[in-house]
Amino acid sequence: MARITLENIGFHYPGAVQDTLSGLNLEIANGEAHALLGASGAGKTTLLNLLSGLLSPTAGKLLFDGQDVSQLAGHARNVAQVFQFPVLYESLSVAENLAFPLKSRGVAASQIAERVDYICDELAISPLREHKPGALSLFEKQLVAVGKALVRADLSLVLLDEPLTAVEPRIKWRLRQTLRKVQEDLGVTMIYVTHDQTEALTFADRVSVLTAGGILQTGTPAEIYETPGHEFVGHFVGSPGMNFVPNSALNVSMGERLGFRPEWAVIDESGPVQGVVTRTRVQRTHDSIPYGLVTLATLHGELSVRGATDIEVGTNTALRVHRYVAFADQQKVGEGELV
Amino acid sequence: MNRSSSRWVLATYVVYLLLPLYWLLSMAVSSNADIAGDFSVLPRSPTLANFAEIFSNPVWYQAFGNSLTYVAINSIISLTVAIPAAYAFSRYRFLGDKQLFFWLLTNRMAPPAVFLLPFFQLYSAIGLFDTPFAVALAHCLFTVPLSVWILEGFFSGVPRELDEMAKIDGHSFLYFFFRVFLPINRGAIGVTLFFCFMFSWVELLLARTLSGSTAKPIAVVMTRTVSASGMDWGVLAAAGVLTVLPGALVVWFVRKHLAKGFALGRVS
Amino acid sequence: MSSFKPHNNRAWLGVLPVVLIVAFSAVIPLMTVVNYSVQDILDLNTRFFVGFEWYRETLNDPRFLAAFLRQVVFSLTVLMIEIPLGIAVAKSIPKTGRLTPFILILLALPLLIPWNVVATIWQIFARPDIGLLGVGVNALGISYNYTAEPLHAWLTLVAMDVWHWTSLVVLLTFAGLTSIPLPFYQAAELDGANRWQLFTLVELPRLRGVLIIAVLLRLMDSFMIYTEPFVLTGGGPGNATTFLSQHLATMAVGQFDLGPAAAFSVIYFLFILLFCWLFYTTVVKRDES
Repeated sequence: MARITLENIGFHYPGAVQDTLSGLNLEIANGEAHALLGASGAGKTTLLNLLSGLLSPTAGKLLFDGQDVSQLAGHARNVAQVFQFPVLYESLSVAENLAFPLKSRGVAASQIAERVDYICDELAISPLREHKPGALSLFEKQLVAVGKALVRADLSLVLLDEPLTAVEPRIKWRLRQTLRKVQEDLGVTMIYVTHDQTEALTFADRVSVLTAGGILQTGTPAEIYETPGHEFVGHFVGSPGMNFVPNSALNVSMGERLGFRPEWAVIDESGPVQGVVTRTRVQRTHDSIPYGLVTLATLHGELSVRGATDIEVGTNTALRVHRYVAFADQQKVGEGELV
Repeated sequence: MNRSSSRWVLATYVVYLLLPLYWLLSMAVSSNADIAGDFSVLPRSPTLANFAEIFSNPVWYQAFGNSLTYVAINSIISLTVAIPAAYAFSRYRFLGDKQLFFWLLTNRMAPPAVFLLPFFQLYSAIGLFDTPFAVALAHCLFTVPLSVWILEGFFSGVPRELDEMAKIDGHSFLYFFFRVFLPINRGAIGVTLFFCFMFSWVELLLARTLSGSTAKPIAVVMTRTVSASGMDWGVLAAAGVLTVLPGALVVWFVRKHLAKGFALGRVS
Repeated sequence: MSSFKPHNNRAWLGVLPVVLIVAFSAVIPLMTVVNYSVQDILDLNTRFFVGFEWYRETLNDPRFLAAFLRQVVFSLTVLMIEIPLGIAVAKSIPKTGRLTPFILILLALPLLIPWNVVATIWQIFARPDIGLLGVGVNALGISYNYTAEPLHAWLTLVAMDVWHWTSLVVLLTFAGLTSIPLPFYQAAELDGANRWQLFTLVELPRLRGVLIIAVLLRLMDSFMIYTEPFVLTGGGPGNATTFLSQHLATMAVGQFDLGPAAAFSVIYFLFILLFCWLFYTTVVKRDES
C-alpha cells in the first residue's frame, strides 16, 4: 500500500478549449479510505482515469510513496479498480477470476491459492468458488469484482468507481459495509468516487469535494458537514443542504452570508427570521411527538428546520438560529454561535 | 496484435479491396485499343467515351431504371409487411411464435436456384412475368425474413414502458405506432432498407429468369453485352462502375446506423 | 427474448401479411418442387408418379456427388479464411478516429456490388492478358491462367469470395467489438492481461453472438453460390468450379430434366438446413449448458 500525492495535477483533452482539471493538490495517507465526492461534470471520471493510468496528467505529478508514476501505464502502477458494474471474465470461474491478476504477474501457485482462499473467506464467497459469473446475482458478481481488485498483496491503491450503482437499493448498504470491513482488515488505500454524499460520508475516513476544475475542501466527514469551507460544500452535502441567509438577517457582522444546518435552528415565534410554514415532513417520533423537517417560506427563500413537526402548514411563525458558518465571496471566513 | 502490426493488416486488406476496384475504374476510362495494346498500370489516355456510349444507349439506362424499380418495389413491400410482424414478435408471445420465426429464417436458407422453375411457372400463370413486380415479389423470399429478423432485434431494444406510457396518455394504438414508435426507429428502418436494397440489387439469377425483354435489369444487360460485342471491356467496366455507384450512395446515407444494424440479431 | 412478454394471440394479425407473402413466394414454389420431384414429366400433360426414384438417382449420380464434394470443400475453405481474417481486420480498425467511417464505408462497398459485376470486376482484374493481377502474377515468373488451369480457377474464385464477403464478417465483428464497454478493457489492463488473454477472455466471449450470425450467413450463402462462378469461370475449366447451384441450373434450365432437378432441389435445400442446424446445435446448445 502506498501514500498517494497529487501535485498540481492538471489535464486537458487534446483539442479542448478549457482544462478539465487544473492545479489539483491532494495527499492521501497510506491505508486511508478516501472519498471523492462531486456532481456529474465535476471531472470525477477524468481524475479516476488519471489515477488508474488510462490517462496521463498534462501538468503536475502523481506520486505513489514519493515515486513519480505520472507516465506509467496502469498495470505498472499496481492499481486495481472496481467499476460501476461487475467486470469479470465470463468464461472463467470465480476462483479463476480471483487468481487471474496474480497468475498474469507470475505469482507462485501456492501463494495464489493462499491468497484466493483468504479473499474468499474475507468476502464470504467461498461457496461460489466454482461458479461461472453468469450464474451469480448482480450483488455476488460485484463482490467477486471487489475480491478480484483486492487479491493482489502488492497493491498501491484500489479505486472504486461508484461501485454500488448497479446493486439493488436494499442491499447497497450490505456491500458498502463489506467494503468498509475489508478496507479496515486489509489496510488498503482506497479512493471511492461517487456523486452520492451518503455513500461518501459513511464510507470514507476523509472526503474531498470536487467541482468543475478543483477540490473545494478535503476533510473528515464531520468537518465537511459541520464546517463547510465553501458555500457549495454546505449546499451539496446534507439532505437537505445548508440554509443560507444574508448576515444582516441574524444581526451578525462577520462575512456576507451565513449558512446554518436545519438542526442548528428551531421554530420560535420570537425568532429573527419570520416566515410561513409551507410543508412538514415527519421522519420519526419521540415521546409520541413527530419529529422531522419544517420548511418555511421567508424573505430569504425557503429555509428548513429540523425539529418537532406538530405545526400546521400555513402558520405564521419565525425561526431562531443558534449556530452558523459565515461566508464571504463563497469562502468560509468564520463560524459562531448565537444565544 | 500490437499497434504497428495491426496497421499493416488493415493497410494490406484495404489495398486488396481497392486494387480490383482501381482496375475496374482504370479500364472504364480506357479505350479498347489501349486495353488491347501494351499493358500499362495507369490508363494511357483517359477518356469518358465508354460512359458516353452507355448514356446514349437506351438499353442501358432503361435497364438501370428497371433495376431500381424492382428494388424500390421490393423494399416497400418488405418494410410494409415486416414492420407489423417484427413489432408482434418483439412485444408478444403467441401460438407458434418461435416455430414461425424459425420457419421464416429457413427461407433465407433456400437456394434461389431451387425456385427458378416454379417461380417462372407461377409468375407466368398470374401474368406478372417480365414485369418488375415478378422480380420484386421473388426477392421477398429473402428480404422479408431478413427484414423481420433485423427489425425485431431493434424493436426489442425499445423499452416496453414507451408503449404503456402512450396508452396512459390516452393515445390510440395507431397514433402511438405511427407518431411515436416508428419515428424512434428511423435508424432501424434505414438499416433494413439498406439490407433490402443490398440483397435485391445484387441478385442476378432470379432477376434474369423472371424478366424477358422489357423488364431486363442492368445486371442482365451487362452479361448480354459481353456476349454480343465480344471484347468490349471498356464499356463493360464503365457499366460496372455505374452499378457500384448506387451502393456507394446508399452506404453513405446509412453509415451511422450500419454498424448498429449489423450488431443486432436474434441469434445473439 | 429474455424479458417478460404478454401472451396475446391477436399478435397473429401483425404477422399475417408476412406469412401470406412468404407463403406465396416460398411455400407454393416449394410444393411445386416437391410435386415435380416424385413425377416423371414428359411434357406438361404427360406425367407419371415415380415415387423416390429421382432421389435415389440423384444421390447415386457421380456428377452430383462430385459437385457436392466441391461445394463442401469450397464453403469450408472460404469460411476458414474469411472468419479469422475478418476478425483480424476488425480488430485492426481504430474504434474512434477520423478515418474509421471511411474505412467502414469502403469495407461495405463490395457487399453492394451486383454479384455478376463482382465476377466481372475479377474477370477484368485476373485475366492473364489484360488484368492487373493476371499480368502481375505472370510477371513475377509464376505461370497463371485461371481460364485454363483448374487449380488457378479455384484459387481465383476463393480470392474473389474473400474479397467479396470478408467485409460482412469485418462489419459484424467490428460492431461487436465497439459494443464491449470500456471498463472491460481497463480491468484487463490493470490485471496485467496480455493481448492474447484480452482477445480470448474478454473479446471472444462477447463476440459469440455476432460470430454465430457471421458463420451462419456465410455458410448459407457460400452454399448457394451461383452467379460468381457462372460469370467468372462458367463452371470450368472442365467441372473444376461447378458447384451445386450451377449443376442444378444446368439440369433444370439447360436440359429441362424437371423431375431429377426437383429432387436435386429438395435434397439441396435439406442439406443447407441440416448444415445450419448442425452448426447451431453444436455451437449454441453446448454454450448454453
